Amino acid sequence: MKHVIGLNEPGKRVILQGNEAYARGAVEAGVQLAAGYPGTPASEIMETLALVADDLGFHAQWSTNEKVAMDVAVGSASVGARSIVAMKNAGTNWIMDMFSTVVYGGLPGALVIVSADDPEAFYSSTEGDTRFLAKGVGVIILEPSTQQEAKDMTKAAFDYSEKFELPVFVRSVTRISHSSGDVTFGEIRKERNPIFFDRHYKLPFRYDVYGPYRYKGKSGPTAKHAWQLEQLGKIRDFMNRIPFNKVEKGEKDLGIIAAGMGYAYVKDALIKLDAVGKPWILKIGTPYPMPEDLLKKFIDKVSKILVVEEGDPFIEEQLYSFMKEYAPEKIIYGKTKHKMLLRYGELGITQVVKAVAEFLKLPYPDVSLERKRLKDEISPLIAPRSSALCPGCQHLGTYWGLRFALLKLLSKYKGKWKGAWIVNGDIGCYEQGGYGIFAKEIKPSTEKVSKRYIFNNPYEILDTNYIMGGGIGLAQGQYHAGYRDGPIIAVAGDSTFFHACIPALANAAYNKAAITFIVMDNSWTAMTGHQPSPSSGMTATMHPSKKLWIENIAKSLGIKNVWTVDPYNIKETEEVIMKAIETSFNEGVPSLVVARRECALQIARRASRKGIELLTYTVNQDKCIGCTLCVQLGCPAVGWDKSKKKAFIDPVLCVGCDLCAQVCPVKAIVPAKKGIKLSDVG
Amino acid sequence: MKNKNYYVMIAGVGGQGSVLLSRIIGDAALMKGLSVRIGETFGAAQRGGAVHSHIRIGKEVYGPLLMEDEADSLLALEPLEGLRRGLLYLKPGGIAVLNTRKVYPIDVNVGAAEYPDINSIIEALKKLGSNIIYHDFTELAGKAGTTKAMNVAVLGAYARMIEKYNNAPFDKDTLLKAMKGRVPKRWLEANIKAFQLGYEVADREMKETRSYLI
Repeated sequence: MKHVIGLNEPGKRVILQGNEAYARGAVEAGVQLAAGYPGTPASEIMETLALVADDLGFHAQWSTNEKVAMDVAVGSASVGARSIVAMKNAGTNWIMDMFSTVVYGGLPGALVIVSADDPEAFYSSTEGDTRFLAKGVGVIILEPSTQQEAKDMTKAAFDYSEKFELPVFVRSVTRISHSSGDVTFGEIRKERNPIFFDRHYKLPFRYDVYGPYRYKGKSGPTAKHAWQLEQLGKIRDFMNRIPFNKVEKGEKDLGIIAAGMGYAYVKDALIKLDAVGKPWILKIGTPYPMPEDLLKKFIDKVSKILVVEEGDPFIEEQLYSFMKEYAPEKIIYGKTKHKMLLRYGELGITQVVKAVAEFLKLPYPDVSLERKRLKDEISPLIAPRSSALCPGCQHLGTYWGLRFALLKLLSKYKGKWKGAWIVNGDIGCYEQGGYGIFAKEIKPSTEKVSKRYIFNNPYEILDTNYIMGGGIGLAQGQYHAGYRDGPIIAVAGDSTFFHACIPALANAAYNKAAITFIVMDNSWTAMTGHQPSPSSGMTATMHPSKKLWIENIAKSLGIKNVWTVDPYNIKETEEVIMKAIETSFNEGVPSLVVARRECALQIARRASRKGIELLTYTVNQDKCIGCTLCVQLGCPAVGWDKSKKKAFIDPVLCVGCDLCAQVCPVKAIVPAKKGIKLSDVG
Repeated sequence: MKNKNYYVMIAGVGGQGSVLLSRIIGDAALMKGLSVRIGETFGAAQRGGAVHSHIRIGKEVYGPLLMEDEADSLLALEPLEGLRRGLLYLKPGGIAVLNTRKVYPIDVNVGAAEYPDINSIIEALKKLGSNIIYHDFTELAGKAGTTKAMNVAVLGAYARMIEKYNNAPFDKDTLLKAMKGRVPKRWLEANIKAFQLGYEVADREMKETRSYLI
């Protein structure tokens, strides 16, 4: 067994990361199919399931995107299997088409959707609260407050899904998914659902939303909608009888409604505040549908209510509409009308302790003024640490080539391109090209004219960045709207290419957009932890699979100008990108550059496993002229000694990629010790 | 009866093994029959971004996050990150183990910020009221066989410190056992050595009763 979650040892107590706990819940439920697409903070759910899939005899896959994963899981549940699909918040946006449709008739097998939200947007484009999406669709939402509950709820979600024949939505957040806690294992379900297909099982034309199913005087989708709403009625009642919703008795007429992480923080806060006279607590495990009978019992006991939940005021808004009828005189504190908590950012323990103290009229145990002053004295010392690409990252080579190709082209075509280029980013390691330098202050401009900005590192190269596959589409819009002040570029990674770029690239060829698309192919979904993708040559369960070549796909989509380059060859990378941009401009059609080199971390790991000693480089201090070009490469291993005005290389971080040696104009960067060059590891 | 829980903060940069270190400490607490929560925050990249782990240990713990000045101990795998988290979380009278090997942020490399002097970092942590042991644990781990075992060398020093300070809910042997259960087999020997070397460094420093040890 490759992971502890596969062990059939009920009662065993281990530390599990939240995502591992979700995976264990699925294992205990006897999962038969698991699908997903990597995305922080959700990746480890599928990753862990993939590790035990072969041993436990179920199918696990990384799908090309979340929508495909969802469709695969729906297919699996349509033939009766217990199925799970896992993704991050942004991925949940991708599944909405199928999610909102499949509930029209539901499924005989279980379908559990785990969606990991990211309040504070540690790893995401937005703080989006996906509970609204699931409520809009009309399914049960479960929200755990600990890793133990993450496991228990996931297991129960399979049962609930089968009971009501509808998907069940498990909402995670970063502080559950990416935190760890002690979890006690339960039994692993031995039986497996029979696999069968009957198009009229329980409902005529069950899996054909247009089929002439007749119900309550309606037919087709409308009839199935009526069926779903009837199921939802049964679900509402059931919500009062499950263990995840409960009322905890209080000693005064103040009440706290807490869900998910909010519940955990409230419990911690009450211990911290050593509260005498405990408030009533309504623990909500199902933010939708709310357990209305429990809610009434709770409301009857209290005069004021504080709602503590992670994300948007989702429960709070439902409570307002409920209270309007039931008890309009009682005051609701939270994130809306009577604010005690912020509506943006993560909830966090500090904010909750403050709110609970204020609500219960207890003193908040703040640090002393003297200590605050001491901290104010010390804090200017602390330099920010902007996110950076890894030492030896091949994207450093691609961005170097792109940066200098753009600079050279703008000076070559001065008359033609008067303004700025546009580099459209995408989601993946290379998105760090848009993270900027935290220590820099930026003032916004107000004029509506094209403007070029100068930068000396790869972290300010991206001009736009929103979502998976967004850049290649944006570039086309900019071109067709008439932007001609400079070349228009889009970048994406290999996994992103398969995820969301293929239809957009077909569109670029079909509608003739003169843009340059650079795919930075490192053979893995690297940013989320090196999950395999169609460019890796293996599946999620490490079985060999055919490697797909981006160049071939592009050519068959109608892209005729395609180049492949090794970003570890800096000069060639720059020349190829220049040529691609010029060709695209001259011919009025899209260009594609595939910058291909496996992720440096993966090569270095392989070298370490094989016992290969990697070369490291050093800066010959006598030769160094202090031009800073190597520093501008943006490699974390290359440092700058301000007092000596010379560059240096950190021998612990250096992996011997040779990029800095290539950019040094005086050949001052030389091997520090004998070893194998990263590009020669194989 | 409040605050009988035990809190640890681990600070470092991606690739230094802070996640593994937090799991080792978590396992040690589990061996003592306690509940554990570990909250991790890391940068977007696999390597080089700031990473910190909150560890909460006790009979009754729910969420993973520490509040200001709650950390009984700070394990700093990188000095700047140690100061960043220590300033916020280390409690007066807490203990700190600091690896003095710097990892420069890109902000410093491109000239947009300055890396603080190592002595000023140590001074600051002392002013904040901590008992601190600092050493180049990267170099020390190198002597044990691999610089990658730096995190475990820091753990070794920590294991010595908690023999005198802190009321930690576990001891050296529990930490050592937990470490053996977590590190990959091929690196086990080097890690045991790194642990021992770290322990010895702390032992020496403590015997010499340096002024920063109250």
